[in-house]
Amino acid sequence: MRAQSIDHLALLPLYLAAAGAVLALFAGRAAKAATGIGLAASAAAAVWVGLGPDRATFAVDEWHSYVADDAAMGAAALFAALALLVAGLSGRQAGEYWFLLAASAAGGIALAGARDLVTLIVAVETLTLPLYVLVAKPGREGAEAGVTFLIASVTSSATALMGAALLYAAGGTVHLGGLPAGLDGAPAGLTAAGLALLLGGLAFKLAAAPLHAWAPLVLERAPLPVAAYLASASKLGGAVAVIWIVHFGLTDGAAGPQRSAGIVLAVLSVASIAVGNLAALVQRRTVPLLAWSGVAHAGYALAPLAVLMTAAGRTDATAAASAAFAYAVFFVLLEAGAFTALTAVRPGDADAGGDDGTLRMQSGQATGAVRPGVTEVHSASDAAPLKAGMPDAEASGTGADVSIRTSGFADTDYREGPSRAVVEVSAASAAERRTSRAPLESGGPPRSDLSRTATGGGVHVPRDGGTIQVPGEGGRIAELSGLRKSAPLPASVLVLAVVGLAGLPPALAGTFAKVAVLEVLASSAVWLAVVVAAGAVVGLAYYLPLARTVLLGRAAATGKGRFALEVTLVGLALAAVSLAPRLVLEFTTFTQ
Amino acid sequence: MNWLLVAAVALPSLGAALAWAYRGERQAHWLGVASAGAGLVAVAVLPFGREASGWWHRLDLAWAPSIHLDFALAVDGVSWPLALLTALLGLLCCVYNALGAERSSASAPLQVPAATVATGGPFPKADRAVGVPAETTIAAASASGGTRQAGVGSVRTGRTAGAEAGEATAEAGRVSPVLTSLLLAVQAASTLVFLADNLVLFFIAFEAVLLPMWAIIHRYGDPAARRHAAGKFALFTVAGSLLMATGLFIAVADTGTAGLGAIITAGGVGEPVSLLVFALLALGFAVKAPLWPLHSWLPDAHTAAPTVGSVLLAGVLLKLGTYGLIRVAGGLAPDGAAEAAPVLGALAALGILVAGLVCLSLPELKRLIAYSSVGHMGFVVLAFAAGTEAGVRAALFGNLAHGLVTPLLFFLAGAIKARAGTGRLSSLGGLRLAAPRLAGLLGFAALASLGLPGLAGFWGEAFTVYAAAERGGAWLALAAVAAFGAFLAAAYLLRMLRRVSHGPVAPAAAGIGDVSAAEAAVWTPLVAGTLLLGLVPGPLLALFAEGLL
Repeated sequence: MRAQSIDHLALLPLYLAAAGAVLALFAGRAAKAATGIGLAASAAAAVWVGLGPDRATFAVDEWHSYVADDAAMGAAALFAALALLVAGLSGRQAGEYWFLLAASAAGGIALAGARDLVTLIVAVETLTLPLYVLVAKPGREGAEAGVTFLIASVTSSATALMGAALLYAAGGTVHLGGLPAGLDGAPAGLTAAGLALLLGGLAFKLAAAPLHAWAPLVLERAPLPVAAYLASASKLGGAVAVIWIVHFGLTDGAAGPQRSAGIVLAVLSVASIAVGNLAALVQRRTVPLLAWSGVAHAGYALAPLAVLMTAAGRTDATAAASAAFAYAVFFVLLEAGAFTALTAVRPGDADAGGDDGTLRMQSGQATGAVRPGVTEVHSASDAAPLKAGMPDAEASGTGADVSIRTSGFADTDYREGPSRAVVEVSAASAAERRTSRAPLESGGPPRSDLSRTATGGGVHVPRDGGTIQVPGEGGRIAELSGLRKSAPLPASVLVLAVVGLAGLPPALAGTFAKVAVLEVLASSAVWLAVVVAAGAVVGLAYYLPLARTVLLGRAAATGKGRFALEVTLVGLALAAVSLAPRLVLEFTTFTQ
Repeated sequence: MNWLLVAAVALPSLGAALAWAYRGERQAHWLGVASAGAGLVAVAVLPFGREASGWWHRLDLAWAPSIHLDFALAVDGVSWPLALLTALLGLLCCVYNALGAERSSASAPLQVPAATVATGGPFPKADRAVGVPAETTIAAASASGGTRQAGVGSVRTGRTAGAEAGEATAEAGRVSPVLTSLLLAVQAASTLVFLADNLVLFFIAFEAVLLPMWAIIHRYGDPAARRHAAGKFALFTVAGSLLMATGLFIAVADTGTAGLGAIITAGGVGEPVSLLVFALLALGFAVKAPLWPLHSWLPDAHTAAPTVGSVLLAGVLLKLGTYGLIRVAGGLAPDGAAEAAPVLGALAALGILVAGLVCLSLPELKRLIAYSSVGHMGFVVLAFAAGTEAGVRAALFGNLAHGLVTPLLFFLAGAIKARAGTGRLSSLGGLRLAAPRLAGLLGFAALASLGLPGLAGFWGEAFTVYAAAERGGAWLALAAVAAFGAFLAAAYLLRMLRRVSHGPVAPAAAGIGDVSAAEAAVWTPLVAGTLLLGLVPGPLLALFAEGLL
């Protein structure tokens, strides 16, 4: 057995991100800085490696397990940059938060370079695993989100693994480069089943129907920066995994497997477009609206790949994969913009709408021992109590805001808060104690503690991801009314992102994405182009009111802009790709 | 010279940005006017130094080659008149805003922004009482509306003092510069549509028109109907433009290039996909044009839009549809166009008939003019469907004539509505006595619209009937329907004139001001253009003849 020579330069972005993650565990108070530097260095390294010649390493015969070509490094840079953005939005957190974030980003970078099924699935798991912890805010709401995400994720991972196993059985190799030849002549049923399971399982990451139901619920209940990560980097991961398998594993191969994959993807795509758009139509709250519309966008991103089912489509499969990748990149940039702006204007704390803070606090106090997973890591790594200093500790001073700090990762020094706040905290916690044994079914959308107390906390709220509107909850679209006046910068970035998601100029990023997809579909699957067009029209029916509320609303929104630097950077990035789409299209265009 | 093409698009965009940036100041309007004027000059000098045939000027900058997107602009005898019309209407609308013509017209009661139910005003659909002397009614209404508005303003000021207070007073007193900014954005995007020589750029420009126009209707429209109308407009337009995009991209895939001129010179797309391409493109453009039965967004949007919005809708946006149909759909898929011509012609003729009959019974001035557009565009589409040389020229000519006459009608209707406080034909009357010059202009525009020989409307409609009849057979029937439609147009326009201008002076029309100097300045170019096209159609037809079709 000969020794592998490893091209460490190709792995440099991965090393740097992983180093950032490890450093975060030991850096104490400098954890955030360590993560930030690691991720920034990783992004820069990815760009640098990507600009150089293509590299590849971990070879078996002529197939490589890890390739650092333009597409991989572009995606890697994007993973690192998105993680960096989320880090910037996260405010002050304990060391393990940064570790988990950077570890997830490292998973994404590994995924970008992965060229065999095992590396790919392990990378997807690395990308996802840290999120189990990150999505779970303390409290019942958070726990439910965490459990939902965990179960959905584990199920889909098992499905994808099963599919990969079947493909290995059929093709005799796990290398994507070897699959085209391996699957030629393999049992058609086995191949089709393997592809369906693998692609369906991976589509979970993309929140494509039918494995989409976790997204609205988890996105709404997760802390907003984590939701931003889920909606951008994590979805990019799903898209990259699917596109890599289809492009590197199928395009050169026989017609049969391609047709099977095309049919699977067409079903996923049409179902996602239909389900996502229809559900988004009835949303009254911002994050679920974006989450449901994200389901529809997953459908648009998968649509170009579905042309593999037609003979005409198989001849320009490379263009189809390029279009899908370009769409995914533009889409996650726009989603990142929307969620960044939302995070910046969400009143009170960095991670949720005001009123449910009390609820989480009480749960955090009453059930402190049950805080999912974080407590142990925290005490093991860095026991130094952080000061109770979320960025706006002074500005808030309501019970809800203080309570958030008490429920956060940091140990809170109560004496630092205003005395009134302490009183409110105790009053609120008393209220919670009264209601802490509220029936389990009260796990609906967060409600104000006033209404909760008044109704005894036992109101049955359907657990449908927040489609029920309760007066006074945070995060309603109507609360963004007049945001243009109270916080012009986030409002303009939000409008730019929303208009882009609707695919309309002047937010050209979205228009380019739509053009890329429609160009592929028009040449080989006109009916799917019509489906996409219909979906976009329906999308307008909910995006326009959202844009209108932000832009033309006459109410006085209370949201104040924060994170000015992050919002500005995202806005500039969106403007840059709108004016110079080649920044994206250069690395998303595959050459065959 | 080539950079003038960019200037024609960039100057209005710059004006839009400037007017938006300085929206707090009154001079912002004049920034808009200046940029629109500069844009008009840039377009107007394009014929100088032109190539003898094909494109006059062409400019090609790579933008995103992997999705076939180039920033390619070009102009010829077909697109130049439309670009000029767009620039002219854009300038006139900006001037109209800057002069505040509708609000400061002599002796006319100032039109306050109608207080809606939401802002504490009366229910807007409830018509103001008829029969009470007009001035007192409107003065009372405006006084109450004004105080309510002020009350709302002060409450808001208390909450967020500063910028909002300024904006509130600006809204109460004058047209907001934001409206000018949006108008310029529409103008820039429309000019880009007419000048685009790249199909992807064409699609992007086509989409870019949507948002500013939506905002104009939604924010500055008639409070009773604007939400509904704006939403309907947006959904119809996007549905149409995405179908159109699909058709465009099929053509791109089939020919391997996205150059509009290149595909037209090469004879369009291949035979197998020709009909599909044409069907998709025609569907998309038919929504915009609009062609019956896809017209239902139009009356709502026109009626709800503010005057300048209606002017741009009629003068520019509808032209996008017909220009696309004639130039892009017809140019990319000539075979498909020939195959689909009977269907298109029948729909157009039906549209003419339906529009005429509906207009006969419409009770509201602006809606009537809006609906008459459906009929006029029916003529344009019918002429195009006929497919002969005379037909295509008639289509282009009728298109342009409509772009001069209908905006004038909308300006007049807006002025009448602003003065009288109502657009209901039953509440109006005696304008001939109350405001003779206004009535005279309305009569002139109506006569031009119904196709009186010697005015712009005549040539397009007459040659449409001629072109349809020329083809013989079943087309004769369509020609007959169109001729009957022209007769209906005369009937409903004369009915409108009788209701509005003649008869005893209605209370609503009593004491309203005549044409002010500002209004005269804005309307004169349109009147002159209508006369010029009517009396000397030759040069324009010659321009069309050398165009790239």
